[in-house]
Amino acid sequence: MTALAASLSRWRRGSTVKIAAYFTFFIVLAPLLAVIWVSFFENKIIGFPPTGYTLKWFVNAWNFERFHRGFTLSVQVGLIATAASLLIGVPAALVLARKKFAGHEIVHSLLMSPLIVPGIVAGAAIFMFFIEVEIFLNDQMHVELPLTGSLFGLCLAHTLLALPWTVRLVTASLIGMDRRIEEAAMSLGATPWRAFWRVTLPVIRPGIVAGALFSFVISFVDLEKSIFLVGPGRTTLPIEMVNYLEWNIDPTIAAVATMQTLLIAAALIISDRFFNLTRAF
Amino acid sequence: MTATAEGLATHSAARPSLRRKGIDTTFSLLAPSLILVLLGLMVPLLLMLRYSFNRWAPGDLMTSAFTLENYVRFFSDAFYLNVLFRTLWMSLVSTIACLVLGLPAAYYLSRLKTRWLKTALILAIVIPLLMGNAVRAVGWIVLLADKGLINEVLIYLGVLANPVRILYTGNAVAIGLIAVLLPFMIISLQAVFDGVSESYEEAALSLGARPFTMFRRVLLPLIMPGIFSGCLLCFVLAMNAYATPVLIGGPSFHMMAPKVYEQALKVFNWPFAASMAFVLMAVTLALTVTASLALQRRYGKV
Repeated sequence: MTALAASLSRWRRGSTVKIAAYFTFFIVLAPLLAVIWVSFFENKIIGFPPTGYTLKWFVNAWNFERFHRGFTLSVQVGLIATAASLLIGVPAALVLARKKFAGHEIVHSLLMSPLIVPGIVAGAAIFMFFIEVEIFLNDQMHVELPLTGSLFGLCLAHTLLALPWTVRLVTASLIGMDRRIEEAAMSLGATPWRAFWRVTLPVIRPGIVAGALFSFVISFVDLEKSIFLVGPGRTTLPIEMVNYLEWNIDPTIAAVATMQTLLIAAALIISDRFFNLTRAF
Repeated sequence: MTATAEGLATHSAARPSLRRKGIDTTFSLLAPSLILVLLGLMVPLLLMLRYSFNRWAPGDLMTSAFTLENYVRFFSDAFYLNVLFRTLWMSLVSTIACLVLGLPAAYYLSRLKTRWLKTALILAIVIPLLMGNAVRAVGWIVLLADKGLINEVLIYLGVLANPVRILYTGNAVAIGLIAVLLPFMIISLQAVFDGVSESYEEAALSLGARPFTMFRRVLLPLIMPGIFSGCLLCFVLAMNAYATPVLIGGPSFHMMAPKVYEQALKVFNWPFAASMAFVLMAVTLALTVTASLALQRRYGKV
């Protein structure tokens, strides 16, 4: 048996599988590592090896108005979309996890559909719809309500992006919850609302925190839907980065990318403390 | 004691109205999110489907019609057919590469006993996955450019005399797609590996199977569902890829999703953009359904 265990662990930790595994991890991480490394280069034109290392590109990036504004907008949209998706997604998750009703399956697929419809297709459809609504409001009611290029339109699309993640993560933690503690609270005289607020919510907090962080991350990095909906003077950070990349590639953009990386890595490391991340997919 | 009995009595008396109320609450709790999805996604999609049958009128958006000419144009234009086939080819290649690269990684991850290392490696996969395509694109440009890290290292080592063009070619897009999609494949595969007890491996090996035979004859059939769902996910995501082909494929490398964007927002030919979007979704759907049916016939329901 020892010989067998040894042979098994040799094949497992054995050089072939291990080297292949780490090669794969490296491919996934390579672009990220490259970005972080280059953001510290001293030379303005990226070349290897660097002439020295500096932090000045971070200052440069922070003072660059377009990135600064893009960052502010992305944070703003991310927070609004996260709040909105929690507000409407948690009640929906509550129903989906606990009630059996006709059309349960359909409702579930509908709420997951923003994950399934390709980003560009959904973006194009929302863009056309917004313009139609604008034209309709203008012609029929003489109301000027800009939707494309507006904060409202952007937040609406991002709430749509975040909703399936919130629903999925909160539903997962509700299904794992023992309902009897809630019944105990109610049999002791708590109203359903109070039981939800004081018992259910604290129990499913990990799912809610993870759902919120995920929603924020998904909204923050989105490109496909936002690209249709940003307007002059109102552009999210990823799209500012794409626009900048069209003309130049230098340590400043690497510094911006590094900052985004750190922000998102922090959000994910925190949510991993609450929730097994692989279960989210 | 009496209080409890009393409570129970009221409870059962209230039941009929409670049931009615239950339906009302169900609806009111679901309504906001359903309205958002229906109005924010389903109605726009239906509207776009309708537009795909309209006629383009340059300068005036489009005229209402019921014609198939946009679809006919797509399927009779060699350029667009080429774009579709290139998209299919890229998706197929990157899916297969993801499977080959993902299998050892997922297996290693699943059998890893060191907890902190496992957590670290999972984060090392999930963080790049959610990093956003803009950041990833910066990374690939730094690595793959003519004066990028890879070329510089290869020249320094004397492998190359002059830099090779990688960035803004199909190869760069393939590399980018593989790296984007690998995390999805690894996570799908790791889930099934976790469900396969190590005793199967031990049994096969103790009966004298060589590791590779054990993998092929024992593990592979058991993880088929994970392989299938992982490949499906990667293929669908590759078909719809937008950022990778645009940012590291350059302006002369065409795939479907960027063309949809171009027609919708740059050319403002909405009917054609709409029909291309639906061709893309229909082809993807048809292929994935065919693949599932074929696999079901071969392996039973997965």
